[in-house]
Amino acid sequence: MAAPLLELHDLKTQFFTPEGVVKAVDGVSLELHAGETLGIVGESGSGKSVTALSVMRLQRPGKIVGGEVRFKGRDLTKLSEVEMREIRGQEIAMIFQDPMTSLNPVFRTGWQVGEPVRLHQGWDKTRALGVAVSMLNKVGIPAPEKRARDYPHQFSGGMRQRAMIAMGLTTTPKVLIADEPTTALDVTIQAQILDLLRQVNREFGTATILITHNLGVVAGMCERVMVMYAGRIVESGPTVDVFAHPKHPYTWSLLRSIPRLDEERHEPLKPIEGLPPDLINLPSGCAFHPRCSFKMERCSRDVPALTRVGDTQFAACWVTQSGVELKGA
Amino acid sequence: MITPLPIDVPAVPSPAAPGQPARSYWQQATARLRRNRIGVASGVVLLFFVLVALTSPLLAAIFTHTDPRSIDLLNTFLPPLSPHHILGTDDLGRDELTRMFYGAQVSMGIGFLAVGVSLTIGAGVGLVAGYYGGLIDGLLMRFVDIILAVPAIFLFILMSILFKPNTITLALIIASVGWGSIARLVRGEVLSVRTRDFMVATSSLGASDLRLILRHLLPNVLHVLIVFGSLYLGQVVLIEAALDFLGLGISPATPSWGNMLTNSETFFFHSSWLVIWPGLTIFITVLAANLFGNAIRDAFDPRLR
Amino acid sequence: MPKAEAVQLKRAWTTSDPLVSVRGLKTWFPVASGVLQRTTAHVHAVDGVDLDIKKGETLGLVGESGCGKSTLGRTIIRLLDPTAGTIQFKGEDITHQHGAALRAHRRDMAMIFQDPYASLDPRQTVGDIVGEPLDIHHLASGPARRARIRDLLDVVGLNPGFVDRYPHEFSGGQRQRIGIARALAVDPTFIVCDEPISALDVSIQAQIINLLEKLQSKFDLTYLFIAHDLSVVKHISNRVAVMYLGKIMEIAPGQQLYRRPRHPYTGSLLSAIPIPDPLIERARERMILQGDVASPVNPPSGCRFRTRCPRAQPHCAEEEPPLEGFGAEHLAACFYPLD
Repeated sequence: MAAPLLELHDLKTQFFTPEGVVKAVDGVSLELHAGETLGIVGESGSGKSVTALSVMRLQRPGKIVGGEVRFKGRDLTKLSEVEMREIRGQEIAMIFQDPMTSLNPVFRTGWQVGEPVRLHQGWDKTRALGVAVSMLNKVGIPAPEKRARDYPHQFSGGMRQRAMIAMGLTTTPKVLIADEPTTALDVTIQAQILDLLRQVNREFGTATILITHNLGVVAGMCERVMVMYAGRIVESGPTVDVFAHPKHPYTWSLLRSIPRLDEERHEPLKPIEGLPPDLINLPSGCAFHPRCSFKMERCSRDVPALTRVGDTQFAACWVTQSGVELKGA
Repeated sequence: MITPLPIDVPAVPSPAAPGQPARSYWQQATARLRRNRIGVASGVVLLFFVLVALTSPLLAAIFTHTDPRSIDLLNTFLPPLSPHHILGTDDLGRDELTRMFYGAQVSMGIGFLAVGVSLTIGAGVGLVAGYYGGLIDGLLMRFVDIILAVPAIFLFILMSILFKPNTITLALIIASVGWGSIARLVRGEVLSVRTRDFMVATSSLGASDLRLILRHLLPNVLHVLIVFGSLYLGQVVLIEAALDFLGLGISPATPSWGNMLTNSETFFFHSSWLVIWPGLTIFITVLAANLFGNAIRDAFDPRLR
Repeated sequence: MPKAEAVQLKRAWTTSDPLVSVRGLKTWFPVASGVLQRTTAHVHAVDGVDLDIKKGETLGLVGESGCGKSTLGRTIIRLLDPTAGTIQFKGEDITHQHGAALRAHRRDMAMIFQDPYASLDPRQTVGDIVGEPLDIHHLASGPARRARIRDLLDVVGLNPGFVDRYPHEFSGGQRQRIGIARALAVDPTFIVCDEPISALDVSIQAQIINLLEKLQSKFDLTYLFIAHDLSVVKHISNRVAVMYLGKIMEIAPGQQLYRRPRHPYTGSLLSAIPIPDPLIERARERMILQGDVASPVNPPSGCRFRTRCPRAQPHCAEEEPPLEGFGAEHLAACFYPLD
């Protein structure tokens, strides 16, 4: 198997606040290969967004306090800001959640979409605009020549997100990081954008990291998935396997607590009891153990490492690592 | 009739530690304020001046044994550190220190009274205009526009001719011009708070307008008033000094820091201390008011919400 | 005899009649523009809705942003004044009521809001927030009031000892529970839930959904459950109404809506919702809509969905389809429905 395009080794990012140190990312390791789509799933506070921002070195005011981010062999955490700027937007592109605020309201859209190629490849205005218009067309914006002259506020949310995707693709990056790209959009628009991302992945071969809290989106879009909780990866593996037989109690409970459109009879949901963890005062041992219905004695003492459980999956759980099957009423 | 409640839904633990006392928004703000050393120091300075203002006759009796009006033509322009006159005497032999004590009464008195009246009227107008909107808002705000458009000096001159300025009337004159800005500020804050869900929620419960304005709007815009109030305090002290300079203020027999400063203008070259004491004091008061106002604004920072 | 005819006997409302009955309801918002701020147009937020909500049921209301579902909920509960139409609550016409008459009804209707961070007054303690309805309607005072507040906190799953704490000390899910306790304080019959879980984490949403269901059976509540997540709405509701640009496109019992949607908009909504199962997701047939939602200021003529509808015919622009029956309790507004 070819070497991974992007590798994270034990990445740690922390925020220093008056109330204490927030361990937003607490030892995350992952691999991304060319052309694949990886999903990172977690709720608010799980560290998924901060992980992505750390890759791009945009994690300020947080600090990367440990670990490596290897992109094509180079450790991004050790690069200077000037070197990092060459990577951002050109090799690794990022699109964000809120299409309302990610585009600058005082510049025309076509001008903004052409900005990466002007900056990184030194193209002049006309050539950049040409690429911008063709990209806008590719992402499905009708009448792109006219729309390129419009300002962001003249676009709807879905169109703005398409423009952002267009902007990310003009430099044909190797990696596209999409941080909750459809969360702020209506569900029918979400379907359009996800369709577009699938198409982009097929045509351009861009490796994509899709960050979301929506398990349904991950199920439809990603070949592999990582589940994050309290700054750590608790489970990873091929999407089909993780959904069919999750090997971590958090994933398992999460899947059971979501109402499904295709449920036949009404049964009460089985929620995860308790509250999300306090990132300043994490529980001892496994961060999930206070809410876990399978916990053993060891769980409150030792932090479980992410190890192989089953053929294709990895889980950070003492219980499943010792062979117990996750079942419940 | 209220039905009795069965209790069997499982309890969920609270993130707040059980031992910690509840911390209200005000308590959190006070804690933040306390951490700001410059803010605390400025607050102490202001408090000091307030105390001097409140106890000036007592202080005079203890420290200087004279009153601010006693003229002693044999001992005019005594320099500081003269016997019985630590800060020296002025052109009529009156003791500077005593006049500084009593001057505090006037300056701080005018300051607080003007600020108090401005805040009350301004808050009232701002709350009503912001809450009701529409025609009421339009009328009130146009009135405010007029007040703000009139040059204050003009109004002061007019008022000074009509009324003999003493501490109270001067404070009211200053307030009559100042309430406009606070009304606008309060109205702005009200407009942003008014549409928040908890306001809609409370009206959906059937709360009356008065209840909504006094119990929900006012506490949520109070921080604006407090910040503006402390910053405005410094401004009022300066306005009073300026009015004295223009001859529209308190008559010189009653000392205020402002008129002390004004009267000593001609004596600057040979008795500069007569200018320095009131000038420095005004400067320190205004600086302290500004620093304290900034500190309060930081303490009530919206990030806290 | 003329006198007997002149006396109109109003039949007393019984629980077999709808609790809430809405006819031809419209809520329009004026759009001001120009230097003089004259009203140039209106936002047709709710543009002609007929609806009945039965006592004890949960009616789900779904739609995307701008469809008017929130406005409809707030109009029904009279937080907004309707522009046209009627609203009946327990048989009484509350469309134009104000002041004391409306306040009397406020004891019977309540609302739960979406944003747990904005729906509670940050300056009040939890006890004051939950106790305020009791004060407004003079329902209890002193020790009885305190006991009632503690009971309310307990029934929504919060520790009653935290009565003196402030909202910012609680998590989103807990704040939502406080909001629910406040709504229950007056012992209402009808509660409008306006996106009560959209702002919460996924693992907390299930807790709140279960809580709402438990409370409904305990206190015999009727819910109007407004949300954009059809999976959640279908789970908690008996019937589901789908709104688009101010009108109801389809209304049916949840399971039936999912198995056999009639309106093309419902069909595309259903196919757009991701299901957390990779094998099902990848095999699904999608009905992806083109374009964006039309403007509620100037809704399309005839059927307002026609600009995005894959089945639209020229006829759809001429006439507006009425909401018609497709079986027991299943209504849809479409001339060319799905099979």
